[in-house]
Amino acid sequence: MDIKEYISSGIVESYVLGLASPEERSEFEQLCTQYPELLKARIAFELAIEKQAMDNAIAPPAGLKNKILTELDSPAAKVITMQSAPVKNLNWLKYAAAACVALLAGSIYLNVSLSNKNKSLQNNYNNTVAELGEVKKDIQTLIGNPNIKMASMKGMAVSPQSYATVYWDTTSHDVYLLTNNLPIPASNKQYQLWAIFDGKPVDLGVFDIKKERLLIQTKNAQGAEAFAITLEEKGGSPTPKGDMYVMGKL
Amino acid sequence: MNSKITYSEQELVALLQQRNEKAFGYLYDNYSGALYGIINSIVTDKEIANDVLQNVFVNIWRKIESYDAVKGRLFTWMLNIARNASIDEVRSKGFKDSQKNQSLNENVDIAGAVTGPAIDDVGLKKVLTKLKGELRVLVDMSYFQGFTHEEISKVLDIPLGTVKTRIRSALIQLRTMIQ
Repeated sequence: MDIKEYISSGIVESYVLGLASPEERSEFEQLCTQYPELLKARIAFELAIEKQAMDNAIAPPAGLKNKILTELDSPAAKVITMQSAPVKNLNWLKYAAAACVALLAGSIYLNVSLSNKNKSLQNNYNNTVAELGEVKKDIQTLIGNPNIKMASMKGMAVSPQSYATVYWDTTSHDVYLLTNNLPIPASNKQYQLWAIFDGKPVDLGVFDIKKERLLIQTKNAQGAEAFAITLEEKGGSPTPKGDMYVMGKL
Repeated sequence: MNSKITYSEQELVALLQQRNEKAFGYLYDNYSGALYGIINSIVTDKEIANDVLQNVFVNIWRKIESYDAVKGRLFTWMLNIARNASIDEVRSKGFKDSQKNQSLNENVDIAGAVTGPAIDDVGLKKVLTKLKGELRVLVDMSYFQGFTHEEISKVLDIPLGTVKTRIRSALIQLRTMIQ
């Protein structure tokens, strides 16, 4: 290897500035151990960069140093170093023992409370992952399927801000409902989804608004010309009697 | 506050690895300005630059064990931590896509268009302005914006090998400028 050529290839600068690829880095580090002139070139460029940076230093805000030192003292940053010192005096031993007991008690308390905290965090995490899995499944159902069509259902006079979306699969005929925005109903009421065929409503079932669930898979409604949601007595109604909240034509 | 003690690099590293807070204070007093300068050449917002500097020093403290003197000087190591942290911050703020889109919409002849997100008249950035058009764009994208050679090749539609050679030659020019 022509080390002079290698040195003047720009690899030294590339390495020092952190622009070299991992392969280039390990090759460079290996060669530095073999060629003192390469190492010399690296150090010279490092010093040049350092001087350049020093000459162009900008003083950080005054309070920042203390802020950082405080953060270092926080438990996350602190690394405890143990130092053993000989105990010369019996009095010291007493105090030390008392301190140890106090420390131990504190430590046990911390352990227990941290362990509880950890458990609850773990639970939260598991729940979140499970929820995320559901949402992902929903999204995949919609996005991953080229046969899905959608119709948005706009709010009617009783609730103009209401909004829902119907998706249906033109091959499997499944219908999915996304309740984008519907008011929470009174406990004795339930929303009911209707498909309209030739102007006549066909019951697609009642549903509850669950925050954690985007989609509700409903009965098949192949050939429907429109969808609507009404608010009915709990359990639903064979024909729509309550107020219509949203409607969308296909 | 200014202590007159000076440490050699080995002494400083040894003390830092023993978690000596005084040595850490010394490190901050001596190098925070230089690192803050680099951070400010990548990050525009002062508040964010302060956060980055804080993270950088906390990371130096936490990772000092992994510093290997064989691979480079302490300052080089810290500089790379500062650069990476700054680029991560800028990228996480969604600058990456806007910058990329900007570049994609234009030709290679965008020397003037791709100015980095931060101040141009500081330190290495200032040196950078002396580079010719395309070389400047390449160094700016790779060093100050953290694009990989592959990404630059795609964005600017230049063959990967060419990107690499041109960046190398730009770096060699940079070297002669700062020495």
